[in-house]
Amino acid sequence: MGLFDRIWRGLPSASRRGAPARGVGASPTKQGDLFDDEFQRKLETLALVSRKVFAGRLRAERRTKKKGSGVEFADHRDYVPGDDFRAVDWNAYQRFGRLLVRLYEEEEDLSIYFIVDCSSSMGFVSGGSARGASSAKFDYARRLAAALAYVGLANLDRVTVVGMSDQVVARMPTTRGKGRIFRVFNFLRELSPTGVTDLGEGMRTFVAQHKRRGLAVLISDLYDHAGFERGINVLRYAKFEPFVLHIVDPAEARPELNGDVRIYDCETGDEREVTITPAVLERMQLAWREYQESVERFCASRQVPYFPADINVPFDELILKVFRRGGFLR
Amino acid sequence: MAFAGLPFATLVTIAAALGALTVVFYILKLRRRPIAVPFSHIWERVLRDKEAESWLSRLRRLLSLLFQLLLLGVLILALGDPRLSQNLVQGRNVLVLVDTSASMKATDGSPTRLDSARDQVAAMVRGLGATDRMLIASMDSGVRPLTGMTGEAQDLTLALKELRATDTRADIRRGLRFAADSLRGLPKAELVVVSDGAFGDLDQESLKDVLGDIELRYVPVGSRNKNVAITQFSVRRYPLDKSRYEVMLEVSNTNEEPTEVELTLIGDEQVVDVSRLSLGPNERLPRFYKDLAGASRTLEAVIKLGDGTPDDLPADDHAYALMPERRRSRVLLVTDGNTYLEAALLLDEYLEVTEVTEAAYPPSGRFDVTVFDRVAPPLAEGGGAALYLNPPDTETAPVPRGKPLKDFGFDTWERKHPALRFTELGDVQVAVGNSFRPERGDKAVGASFQGPILVEGRRQGRRFMALGFDPRQSDFVMRVAWPLFILNTIDYFVAEDTGYISSFRTGEVWHIPAPSGASSAELEGPDGVRRTVPVKQGQAVFQGDQAGFYTLRVAGEEQEQTSEFAANLVDLAESRITPSPTFEVGDKRATAVSGFNAGVRRELWIYLLIAVVLASLVEWVTYHRRLTV
Repeated sequence: MGLFDRIWRGLPSASRRGAPARGVGASPTKQGDLFDDEFQRKLETLALVSRKVFAGRLRAERRTKKKGSGVEFADHRDYVPGDDFRAVDWNAYQRFGRLLVRLYEEEEDLSIYFIVDCSSSMGFVSGGSARGASSAKFDYARRLAAALAYVGLANLDRVTVVGMSDQVVARMPTTRGKGRIFRVFNFLRELSPTGVTDLGEGMRTFVAQHKRRGLAVLISDLYDHAGFERGINVLRYAKFEPFVLHIVDPAEARPELNGDVRIYDCETGDEREVTITPAVLERMQLAWREYQESVERFCASRQVPYFPADINVPFDELILKVFRRGGFLR
Repeated sequence: MAFAGLPFATLVTIAAALGALTVVFYILKLRRRPIAVPFSHIWERVLRDKEAESWLSRLRRLLSLLFQLLLLGVLILALGDPRLSQNLVQGRNVLVLVDTSASMKATDGSPTRLDSARDQVAAMVRGLGATDRMLIASMDSGVRPLTGMTGEAQDLTLALKELRATDTRADIRRGLRFAADSLRGLPKAELVVVSDGAFGDLDQESLKDVLGDIELRYVPVGSRNKNVAITQFSVRRYPLDKSRYEVMLEVSNTNEEPTEVELTLIGDEQVVDVSRLSLGPNERLPRFYKDLAGASRTLEAVIKLGDGTPDDLPADDHAYALMPERRRSRVLLVTDGNTYLEAALLLDEYLEVTEVTEAAYPPSGRFDVTVFDRVAPPLAEGGGAALYLNPPDTETAPVPRGKPLKDFGFDTWERKHPALRFTELGDVQVAVGNSFRPERGDKAVGASFQGPILVEGRRQGRRFMALGFDPRQSDFVMRVAWPLFILNTIDYFVAEDTGYISSFRTGEVWHIPAPSGASSAELEGPDGVRRTVPVKQGQAVFQGDQAGFYTLRVAGEEQEQTSEFAANLVDLAESRITPSPTFEVGDKRATAVSGFNAGVRRELWIYLLIAVVLASLVEWVTYHRRLTV
């Protein structure tokens, strides 16, 4: 039983009661072997790659556009009254006869937002019709969010987790440090897949609530009747760096149906009568594949990092190999 | 087209009800099961392409409904049993008379003649027309219908399995009368006789108008006539030495060629005598074996061909006889002294005689027969049957006396009565005596012109015989008939026949001696089957059709009484197994059967049912292959 499995089924009583964690590296090791010490050491050596530099309030391991008290030289500018004399570059004055002030790059922390799709389609059980039931897709998405949040927290980034359907259904306040990982776990555990997907509306609310820009990791199956593009575009236009983790269940491409059936959408309830034949199933598989490709094309054309997350791929393999190969982790 | 099954109005009602039910079920079936999908948007893309096929899909559904209604209609049509009009008009009523007599056991068939007959009739059943009806009956010494007049091939086929050849002769007259009675008044009546034609000599003149308008057809079976037979078999014990016996038998060669026969006599399962006989063509050779000994119970005669090969009919190669068990009969003689009577009783060593005077009667002990000489005391228990010689005119006498007679004799007597067997009474002269006045149920066995003088009957459940004169007042005691009369009467009472110990003849009604108190008895045949037979007037009545030894068991007052007897075929007509290619009844000559086209069923409902099954099969396959959904 792995760490997250253990966590999912119930944290140690001390942690659930809010007892301070004495070190993330020690606690999970006791709880399981899926995320054992070796696995966590690998995660801690990974850092999120930020393709842009964001402004931050606290010093961290990333450069920002701010010039300040860092150690890395950045630039010169003319001296103005009030500047710190210690910053005057006397060598430059001797050379150019002008008072120039040395500017340094300031290393600041990164804000990472994990936006977990909590719509009903995420809770869809392939081959069944349980609406809102816990499913492989939703569990997979929550585990992904938890693992990535742990990586972010381990790198002293500011991590925020948001549950979203057609609105922000839940929000975990921004936190940092590995010791807060159990807070993330508790938050994710409380989420449930209900509601209709409307990423556009949800993202507008999200953007309005979060002024601090950063990496916005969207973990979703992108089954949005209004169009998944709207949500991603809202993030882009608001200067967030969208990062799409597309949860994919291949079983949905070829459902085990036959004969005359009445299909209905698990979110909207829209009904259609259809007679399932092998030809229909073939077309269904083709349409599903086209939909996945359209998502990938959209992200590629907007330079939005896109990673399909097949729920049949073992969890640790996805974390350690697929993400690294895709450049998500360095 | 007409309906032989349900009436048309009923069919319409059923069709309307089931049709409506089908449509309702079909509509209910169209309420499809709901299935959730995660994202109907993708399905929209798929279904947009499928819209173009929707009209075809609707057409398929409509066709599916129409197909179901069509199948339903065909099924209901089958229920109506539609027939072509000409078939309805031309229905025949066929009575098949299958010979099951002994000659049908001949092994020149497949393997027997009866099996060949069964195959022939089965072929006729298969070729029975849609409106034809058939009745199958077996014919041996009697006629037994195995079915009613029916068109159901299954019933007729099952009845064929019940056909079984017996050891009796074929009574064709009875069979023809049965056929005539069964087919009287029926249209297109046909009588089909399936036989080897071994019916003996028929009096065609008397059969002239038996069948009337009934069409007579004949199916001959059999091909050879290689047979020798025992056609007579009789055994009798010598009256005065019952340990010895003599046998008379007749061996017949029914072939057209001379043959050698080996004859074996077997007594109590031990070979008594073996002899070889030469028989000319169609020769009947009687043989007489005198003064034989060595068998006290069973006697069996067996013949076989001299070259050791079997003949075609084994059933007539055996004959059986069973001799009554010899035991000492206990006789009580109540007399004041009668030398002639005592002398007669001394002749039989198997008699155990106790003599008492009237004053000493009744002595202790049980007796089979009590002989009252000029006395008639009240009958005591355990005395058995009673023989009265000149009983006095008292109330205890068995028969009231009639008028006194002088100088008379036996003018009439039953020559075949067991008590008078081997006797000649016409010369007996009697000086004085009395006639009897028999009561109801009594029987006069002998009489003079002036009245009965020898009467038998039953009193208090016990048999008696009364002689109306004192033998010493006649010359009866001087004649050989006297001791024979005494011993015959005793044997008659104790059911020990000194006459022909032959056997019963199969096919006839047997009257087997049994204790009179019983109303039924159990009879075990040669095949081991036990059956209950009625007992009337001291005789079990049964019509047997199997040759061999039988055992009769009757529940007695103290213990079960068992007796055995034998039955034989011994019938020359049945042993003449030469198959007859033709058959005539009166002036009517039988023709060959026709109109039975094997393999063609004319009932349309069978084909309709097959069509529905095939169509359902095709529909099932195409449905599961997704061709029709």
